[in-house]
Amino acid sequence: MLSEREIETRVKEIIARIYRVKPEELKPETRFIDDLGADSITTIELVAEIEDAFGIEVPDEDVEKNQTVGQAIAYVIEKLKASGRAKAG
Amino acid sequence: MRVCVFEDGKAANFHPLTMTRAVYELRVGATTILEKLLAAFGRRAEVSLHVREYLTEVLRERHPNFLINQLPPDDVLLLNGRWIHAGEEVDVKDEYVGVSGGEVVFIRAKRTTLEKHKGLPIPELMGRLSEELGREEVKARLANWPWDLIFENPDAIKRDFARLGKGGVHGKIKGHIELLGEKEDVYIAPGAVVYPNVVIDAEHGPVIISEGARVYPFTYIEGPTYIGEETYVMPMARLRGGITIGPVCRVGGEVEESIIHGFSNKYHDGFLGHAYVGEWVNLGALTTNSDLKNDYSEVEVYINGKPVKTGSQKVGSFIGDHTKTSIGTLLNTGAVIGVMCNVLAPDISPKYIPSFTWYINGRLSKGPGLRRMLRTAEEVMRRRGRTLTEPQARMLSHLYEATREEREHYMQLYQQKLEREKGI
Repeated sequence: MLSEREIETRVKEIIARIYRVKPEELKPETRFIDDLGADSITTIELVAEIEDAFGIEVPDEDVEKNQTVGQAIAYVIEKLKASGRAKAG
Repeated sequence: MRVCVFEDGKAANFHPLTMTRAVYELRVGATTILEKLLAAFGRRAEVSLHVREYLTEVLRERHPNFLINQLPPDDVLLLNGRWIHAGEEVDVKDEYVGVSGGEVVFIRAKRTTLEKHKGLPIPELMGRLSEELGREEVKARLANWPWDLIFENPDAIKRDFARLGKGGVHGKIKGHIELLGEKEDVYIAPGAVVYPNVVIDAEHGPVIISEGARVYPFTYIEGPTYIGEETYVMPMARLRGGITIGPVCRVGGEVEESIIHGFSNKYHDGFLGHAYVGEWVNLGALTTNSDLKNDYSEVEVYINGKPVKTGSQKVGSFIGDHTKTSIGTLLNTGAVIGVMCNVLAPDISPKYIPSFTWYINGRLSKGPGLRRMLRTAEEVMRRRGRTLTEPQARMLSHLYEATREEREHYMQLYQQKLEREKGI
């Protein structure tokens, strides 16, 4: 079971790798498109990496709802909590 | 009697082409290796096929009349699935092992001998038989690497044409076409359609245009060339000899001495030379592969990630099933692209792209992941009236997991390279 902090760290590592930035540069309000230059290709890659890393499925309709780093982290935490694989902290 | 076509340890030499099929399902000439062997030895025999375990289900689908990985006790002729049969005969009277260059080409064994080893898996059985039975040197060509199929292809087309025993124009010719060479060296099957102003040049070898194929205007086809069923050759295509195109392909632009297995598209301009393209591949417009280095030196090809010298100056690309290239992709000399890849390489591609990856402008990633890749495959196949079956999906899932470590390794290498370049 992962803590919220562990989830946040891993999500940021994935985002940093795909968008070639340092994890510490990512803030909750960092926007994928406007700040990181996300396009359809990198978005699909990001979703696939997160699905793989956390063993979750991200329906296509959920992708557009997550516009910022903070939203993406919260989404993953929520998904893992729903399946009993995340704890607070 | 039973004929059993087997894979030996070198099936993996043909990766990525043999990740999704048995080695004897590869094409060379107008047919597959298997079809040649069965035409020679299997006409009045029961047939067993031996294949790597994870391919059992898909082989059963593809060959419902054959036993897969089963060999009941019977008089048997075991045939190496890498044997490009060229008319050689086998004396089936006695028990013996036919070898060529130290490799087993075939094993002839009687029922009583097999009954002594009842229950043994086929590879172990063959090991025992190889030890127990006498050996005889035979003349046979075993393919060792995928480029061997390319090199052998022109002669294989000629032999298959002779074996076919058909010639002449029986299809629909819509207007004036030019036939160069002997008319008997051209076979246009009933149901094939050739449009006006096509030139078919059989001066250097036969040309076979199969049933349902279409050849559109202003195309030049030089033999030896085989065009498979329901394949369309686009207007102004230049097919420059030594070419096998399997069924239901769409081929345009320039092609030379290549094999396109089937159900693949190279619709638009771009050059494909000395290459083997798998199934369900789409080469985007202006995709071009290099088959000759600028220093004219020997081409190396990465097989399973390791460089192998080909002994040849002219070697093109080897592209696994379900891979797609973007418009304007340039494939390096001897490049190997795995299964289900997506390649955008307007600058020259790397020599090796592992399976189930996206290579986009110098960066390697997992792309959309297996679930979405399978969804794309379903759509691609649906457009040709085919279905991605459960066994096929399971096979691809197995391959996805089997290639995970290699993929992660290469992704890490590329990431480190990018970080070095960016100073991170």
